[in-house]
Amino acid sequence: MFFRNLTLFRFPASLDFNALDDQLSQLPLKPVGALEVSSRGFVSPFGRAGVADPEDAQDVALSHRIGDSIWITVGGEDRLLPSAVVNDLLGKKLAEIERREGRKPGGRTRKRIKEDLVHELLPRAFVRPSRTDALLDLEHGFIAVDSSSRKSAESVVSELRGAMGSFPAMPLNAEVAPRSILTGWIAGEPLPEGLALGEECELRDAMDGGAVVKCQNQELQGEEIGKHLESGKQVTRLALTLDDHLSFVLGEDLVIRKLKFLDGAIDQLENTDNQDLRAELDARFALMSGEVRRLFAVLEPALKLSKSDA
Amino acid sequence: MPLRRLRLLPTHAIERDTVTVLLPDRQPLQVQRVRDPRARRIKLSVDERGARLTLPLGASLVSGERFLHQHRTWLATQLAHYGGNADLPTLVRGETASLPLRGVELSLHWHQARFTLIWLDQDGVHIQLPARATDATLRRALREFYEGQARADIGAWMPRYLPGLPRAPARVRLKVMSSQWGSLSPDGSLALDLSLVLGQPRAFEYVLVHELCHLLQANHSPAFWHEVEARFPAWREQRGYFNAHGRRLKAGLRALLTPAGD
Repeated sequence: MFFRNLTLFRFPASLDFNALDDQLSQLPLKPVGALEVSSRGFVSPFGRAGVADPEDAQDVALSHRIGDSIWITVGGEDRLLPSAVVNDLLGKKLAEIERREGRKPGGRTRKRIKEDLVHELLPRAFVRPSRTDALLDLEHGFIAVDSSSRKSAESVVSELRGAMGSFPAMPLNAEVAPRSILTGWIAGEPLPEGLALGEECELRDAMDGGAVVKCQNQELQGEEIGKHLESGKQVTRLALTLDDHLSFVLGEDLVIRKLKFLDGAIDQLENTDNQDLRAELDARFALMSGEVRRLFAVLEPALKLSKSDA
Repeated sequence: MPLRRLRLLPTHAIERDTVTVLLPDRQPLQVQRVRDPRARRIKLSVDERGARLTLPLGASLVSGERFLHQHRTWLATQLAHYGGNADLPTLVRGETASLPLRGVELSLHWHQARFTLIWLDQDGVHIQLPARATDATLRRALREFYEGQARADIGAWMPRYLPGLPRAPARVRLKVMSSQWGSLSPDGSLALDLSLVLGQPRAFEYVLVHELCHLLQANHSPAFWHEVEARFPAWREQRGYFNAHGRRLKAGLRALLTPAGD
């Protein structure tokens, strides 16, 4: 359940989340209808482990709170209907009509036949389930969505806004150019306390469409990287570690990718004595929320992230 | 494909070339001619980039040239009004001594270092560049510096205006816009012109408030202006500022960010 990516949004820390469970229960995930393309709604963050009796899902808590951290999950069901399948069947039907009537069907007929085909095929299409987790930190006022795609992260925020009525969350706003900060770090500027360089980076030429250098397993403070910096390239993605607890790649878009919890963090977890899956997930969430909060507290001043409170 | 279908296919690409016109003082002038599928009528416009003749798809080249010839006196007057680009800011490595920011000229200090960085302190703006850095690197870094400064302003103002709005903007982008100062798309994405950070902060703040109010009213109805008035009573003053200095701001940013020789 550890998050692998973090797309962050900020909201005023003064927001009240006391009624969140009731609000989320108004928008639970409903199975996608026979003629629906997709369905979205909140599910238990614990998955099946969160449902004591799978037959009775009425009393399931749709959020899990530890202190100032709340874990929510947006579930989804999407019907898989590839356009190639629809177009192939449509082509065959149109050819059949043309053969029978001796003329090509017009645009309106074509549209109607396509709609009929979609209606016919949708109930038979596979349903792909999905889930996207998010962590709300009420102390710092941020939501971290476990996705590197801005679109799916925004859809989680939008679902939450739908449930709460109002949720003024904004994407992170850095008051400095992230490129110049990341470039400074590999050029020898002091890193914020706790952060250390990893072995992966992406450098880009200033020109749009210019040279891109991607390095993995590379010493980042060596001469080779120095040559690229001297030619004017700037760092757009950089691997970092936080106190041997977390490793991640920070992009100039402020999305955290390849998030991994290292031994320094996991060791704390192994010392706990949890027997059942729910307790295990609870312990993992407690650990993860603490580490993500610590990471945010380091990145916030370094990247001069704007607050949402007036 | 039948010929009828071929004729109906619209040409969507914008075509550009130049046409020469003789001004009343017999001086030849190169005018940019643009055939724009979105244009509805023949239009002649002048800004700091020069004169531009816009033609809709149906207009012939001859009618465009005739229009240009008929308005050559007006064209000469307008060009004299703009008076060239003499007082636009420039960016020459190691030479430029000041940069515009938030309505004032800040002194500019040049440094040589291992990597590119621009920062602001009480002495003004500092630009450090490696010896091999190109002009494109410098201008890219300047653009990002301005973007960071604009984001700092937005970050300071935004929380004040968020209460009372149905939602926050889905994202805020800073772009170099040719004529607009800001826009709000239906998906809630807010775009602001980067040159706003060059002008006076109150004008920038007004544009932000204006666009945020579109989250309440996606139009320019009296109800929309009522929302603007409630949040930013001095908005008329700022519109006056844009009327007086807006074009200079946009031209100034363009001059700073466009590589020499383009």
